[in-house]
Amino acid sequence: MKLAGLKSLESAHDDSIWAATWIPANDTRPFSLLLTGSLDESVRLWKADDDVVLERTNTGHSLGVVSVAAHPSGVIAASASLDSFVRVFDVDSNTTIATLEAPPSESWQMQFHPKGTMLAVAGGSSTSIKVWDTSTWQLVASLQIPRPESSKPNDKIATKKFVLSVAWSPDGRRLACGSMDGTISVFDVSRGKFLHHLEGHLMPVRSLIYSPSDPRVLFSGSDDAHIHMYDAEGKSLIGSMSGHSSWVLSIDASPDGGAIASGSSDKTVKLWDLNMRAAVQSMTNHSDMVWGVAFRPPGGAGVRSGRLASVSDDKSISLYDYS
Amino acid sequence: MASVYIPVQNSEEEVRVSLDQLPRDATDILDILKAEQAPLDLWLVIAREYFKQGKVEQFCQILEEGSSPEIDEYYADVKYERIAILNALGAYYSYIGKIETGAKEKDNYFAKATQYYNRASRIDMHESSTWVGKGQLLLAKGDVEQAYNTFKIVLDGDPDNVPALLGQASVQFNRARYSESLELYKRALRVYPDCPGAVRLGIGLCRYKLGHFERARQAFERVLQLDPENVEALVALGVMDLHANDATGIRRGMERMLVAFEIYPYNALSLNYLANHFFFTGQHFLVEQLTETALAVTNHGPTKAHSYYNLARSYHSKGDYEKAGRYYMASVKESSKPQEFVLPYYGLGQVQLKLGDYRSSLANFEKVLEVYPENCETLKSLGHIYALLHQTDKALEVLRKVTRIDPRDAQAFLDLGEILISSDTGAALEAYRTARILLRKVGEDVPIDLLNNIGVIHFERGEFELAEQTFKDALGSGVWLSLINGKENNYVVDAVTALLQYKDVNIFHRLEEEGGNVDLLPWSKVSTIFNLARLLEESHKILSAILLYRLILYKYPEYVDALLRLASIAKARSNIQLSIELVGEALKVNDKCPGALAILGCLELKNDEWVKAKETFRAASEAADGKDFYASVCLGNWNYFAALVSELKKQVKHIPVHLEKAKDIYSNVLKKCPANLYAANGLGMILAEKGQFDVSKEIFTQVQEAGSGTIFSQIPDVWINLAHVYFAQGNYTLAVKMYQNCLRKFYYNTESQLFLYLARTHYEAEQWQDSKRTLLRAIRLSPSNYTLRFNLGVVMQKFSASLLNKEKRSADEMRTTVSELEIAISVFGQLAVGFNQNIHGIDEKKIETHVSYCKHLLDVAKVYREAAELEEQQSRQRLELARQVTLAEEARRKAEEQQRLQMEKRKQEEELKRVKEMEERFERVKEQLKSSSQPSKRKERAQSEDEDGEHSEKKRRKGGKKKRKDKHEKSHYETEEVEADRGEFQEDMDEQHNDYEEPTNQLNTVYDDEEEDMAQDPRAAAGLEDSDVEDEMGAPTTASRRKQTWESDEDEPVYRPEDSSSLRENNAHQQETGTVRDDENVNNVEADDDID
Repeated sequence: MKLAGLKSLESAHDDSIWAATWIPANDTRPFSLLLTGSLDESVRLWKADDDVVLERTNTGHSLGVVSVAAHPSGVIAASASLDSFVRVFDVDSNTTIATLEAPPSESWQMQFHPKGTMLAVAGGSSTSIKVWDTSTWQLVASLQIPRPESSKPNDKIATKKFVLSVAWSPDGRRLACGSMDGTISVFDVSRGKFLHHLEGHLMPVRSLIYSPSDPRVLFSGSDDAHIHMYDAEGKSLIGSMSGHSSWVLSIDASPDGGAIASGSSDKTVKLWDLNMRAAVQSMTNHSDMVWGVAFRPPGGAGVRSGRLASVSDDKSISLYDYS
Repeated sequence: MASVYIPVQNSEEEVRVSLDQLPRDATDILDILKAEQAPLDLWLVIAREYFKQGKVEQFCQILEEGSSPEIDEYYADVKYERIAILNALGAYYSYIGKIETGAKEKDNYFAKATQYYNRASRIDMHESSTWVGKGQLLLAKGDVEQAYNTFKIVLDGDPDNVPALLGQASVQFNRARYSESLELYKRALRVYPDCPGAVRLGIGLCRYKLGHFERARQAFERVLQLDPENVEALVALGVMDLHANDATGIRRGMERMLVAFEIYPYNALSLNYLANHFFFTGQHFLVEQLTETALAVTNHGPTKAHSYYNLARSYHSKGDYEKAGRYYMASVKESSKPQEFVLPYYGLGQVQLKLGDYRSSLANFEKVLEVYPENCETLKSLGHIYALLHQTDKALEVLRKVTRIDPRDAQAFLDLGEILISSDTGAALEAYRTARILLRKVGEDVPIDLLNNIGVIHFERGEFELAEQTFKDALGSGVWLSLINGKENNYVVDAVTALLQYKDVNIFHRLEEEGGNVDLLPWSKVSTIFNLARLLEESHKILSAILLYRLILYKYPEYVDALLRLASIAKARSNIQLSIELVGEALKVNDKCPGALAILGCLELKNDEWVKAKETFRAASEAADGKDFYASVCLGNWNYFAALVSELKKQVKHIPVHLEKAKDIYSNVLKKCPANLYAANGLGMILAEKGQFDVSKEIFTQVQEAGSGTIFSQIPDVWINLAHVYFAQGNYTLAVKMYQNCLRKFYYNTESQLFLYLARTHYEAEQWQDSKRTLLRAIRLSPSNYTLRFNLGVVMQKFSASLLNKEKRSADEMRTTVSELEIAISVFGQLAVGFNQNIHGIDEKKIETHVSYCKHLLDVAKVYREAAELEEQQSRQRLELARQVTLAEEARRKAEEQQRLQMEKRKQEEELKRVKEMEERFERVKEQLKSSSQPSKRKERAQSEDEDGEHSEKKRRKGGKKKRKDKHEKSHYETEEVEADRGEFQEDMDEQHNDYEEPTNQLNTVYDDEEEDMAQDPRAAAGLEDSDVEDEMGAPTTASRRKQTWESDEDEPVYRPEDSSSLRENNAHQQETGTVRDDENVNNVEADDDID
């Protein structure tokens, strides 16, 4: 497996780019779009195959966009900003479909259910995942991390268990969330029930992703500079990969399930071979911390090769060929 | 058998005395001799016989009797015999004087000898044998010049006097005039060809000294032919054989020495050579026996020196330095001139070096150098001593000389590297590399220490790959490779488990079994393994590093440094409990280990156990015993923090006490170790605290420069402190730059606390948008830090207020203001809603105040916005109107033009046609034109004038209103609000300041009120930074440690387990908690509200 740099677009936003995801192709639009969110309070859509071309700029957020998510249908997408609002919009028309807010919960990482029926939002200091129905846009569940029995109400639970990241299992039955204190909590979605914690990190877990090929396997990236590999059902840590020299800010799994890409505050993007459990490549396109990495989902007309996009505090977008 | 016949007096008879049957009691003989008045020559013959038989006493008795006054009287006319007797006695006493070792007795004997010779001289001044005797005596006394004169007297009278010739030859030999000596011997031999072998021996020795070895050999061999048992000749030949320096020569030489030894076991020279031989064969017992005998039998200085040297060497090689030193000293005393025998000086130098007497050692080596100025070994030893005496320049000079003399001396390059390492790592690396290449060239194994040191330098210079390769080269193959390469990673998948299982040794058992139970980790490699682990740690290969540390601990459970590193790793992953446990292990090994105690102290601080931490630091500082100042600096920091805490708790009295104490500690450390960057940083902080910014800036700058060399001595704190000072001095641009550089250089831009400082600087510089963005970044990095959000609200509020405060407000600005205020309200609102105060520690009332203030501003802003929008709309209309007017005018102009053109055309036509009839029609047309254009124009103008008037009236009215309101607003912003506002942010940014009661008096003298905040601020921040001080305190120790490794393997280069950010976090935490607002400010805001 290999990454080859295709294009780096400088000044893609007016300020740090904090989030990126791909909107899958669909019947009406035969190509995927790259969706990025920035501290400049805008969300931008890019046509990115061999070049990165701006499609549209969405405004309306305040305080910087921290997370973006795309519905599997490729029709709608969501963006969340530091002011805790989630804006759900039509990809092609940019009409606002819904504005979601669940005060006092903040909104951090978001992910749509694999079938697109729900949207999960990491709820920050509410120590919960907020789950929204995508047809009615009603809050359908608030999955709360249980308080440790010993804790006093004054304990800094809200700070420790502050939920930063969230991930759906590929079958849509599980939701995992990562907290400031490094714990990962796994929920049974259908029963709305907390299952267990996954331990190993002791520093904030900023990114979570399930393996597309194995629904039990969960990857996590943490400020402790490590990427962990868990058996999310068996509660066990099955791998730990080190190599970044600073926080791991974002991870994504390749569609074939054989590799992981990670972005770090050490300015690098690394590609990890899961068989070797080691970094096989380290890309140094960016000159500042890399907040987002995203593999392009398969599908779309005439698309044969894989793509990886990375976005950074240096305001640039980098596009790589993944093979 | 020979007999003598004593003639019986007055008869022809003779008494026959058999010479081999001389009576034991010499008195019998004496009686006969006296009774028969035997001729004196008989006395002499008998006495000589006694002497030959070794009966010295009888010999003396007879001769003394024979020289008694009565005999003198009786034999007054027998001059020659009397002289002979006296000379015999003189010769005897000079001989025993010569071999006597006691100085007093020696003088006695010589005095006696002199006496006898003088008596002989009195009998006959001119008797040559007396002169010869005197010459011998002088020679024995070592008075070579006098001896020369004496023999000369004889030889002047009788040039062929053989004894005088021999004596003079001996004198010349002693004067090192070997060719003259040789001539004299030759003359003696010519005069007296049958002389004993001794003469030829003399010739041989002269030839030897002259370097004619073959002829010397011939001479010695001739001696042996004449006298097969001539020990001197044997020894001389033996020495020559030995010096031939080949195996057969040495063997033959030793054989000769042995023969000589068997013939005469008391020849010191042969004893020495034998001893020398046995020294090399390692039979130290024999060496001692032989040399002791040699010492007993000889009195000859150089020979004794040699014997002592042999003895000393023997003890030296056995490691008995005390004794060796004594004997070297004795040897040196015997020879007294380094030119003659320099070896003992060298030996003495070595022993003194071993015993730590560097100065004496230095002196001795310097003596060796006087003789052999280019002796590399000596120069290297000198270099070593200079290094030990910290005379680095001299050491370098000496070693550089060695490398010039012998550019292939690997050892010299090694030493050079060792000395350079503390001053110039680049040059040191170069030297080490050369040494390595040289060693490799000659096919020698490169010592692991050398590679280790090279690796460490690379490591320090941040050349990790080179360092890793070098360490691996040093280590060769072994279990560590599989540990590094991750083959064992299946066993433990991650660092945390690896850490947690640090007592689980299964993996090593297994490795041991696989490797056939060979030694997993030889002691010689431990240092390098440790360094490699440090390197892996630094390269973020934590798991491999942990496994290596565990490997070390498996073999050497008392290896504290590995335990401490593990503790440090645990701490970095915020596993405090495990970290404390590991430090506990280390303390079990050595409960006075300063490093462990220091880490423990930091951990306790992290757990908020202040008092305990202080005790621990104190213990650590005591345990370090002035050798390591880490703990002392920690203690200084502790006091500094205590001052901050006192401020928090409003215990004003304690603040100066703690600060003073901290200052004392830092100053003390600096006194003992002026290169301690951390203490310097601390001192800078205290000075900044006291407002002496220029001095503290100077200090910080110096520390920053000093720390820029290696990766281990860079202190981010000092950058931050410097930034704080710039900030305090109002130099915001530089402060911003410094913060940003620090963030980039040391923290990968991830330290939200620094972003907070940065935001505050922007805030002070009234760069609201920069401040806001900086805060947003910080929030992104540290989402659960609500102080950041609060400050964000404050910045937006302030920004909006500043827009409202402007002279001219555009509608855009007002729209921004409104939206900013709305967001600010929601930011505050979010903080207020549903959280209990414990989450973010921000007072709800305070938030409410802010919210209501923002709301108030919002109302104002909305009004302004409307006004501005209206104005905007009007001006847009006005513009539109103007545009229309222009358009109309344009149209009219065009129409006129057209008309003119048409007119001209028509004119032309008219003129062309000149139809009379047309004249009338023309008139009519003209008339028509006038009437149609003029009225329309007038109408338009009237209309526009109308509109204008209306507008201006409106504007005037509105403007007036606005102005009034403006004034009102402005004044109230300026008078109260502005100040209130200004205070607010700072307060929140550097909570420390407002929350801790500030020592106002102190500061007020320097700053006016507004600046007070800033002044305090850097101090607070400085406090934060300083926390790291303790971290990397290892830096100054690194170099020395490495040196130790090099010298002996007892100690390893340990990079002090650093412990960054422990206290910082702690402090940051304080900051978080301390956001209570000053009542004053609240009042101000409320007052504003009232006014409104």
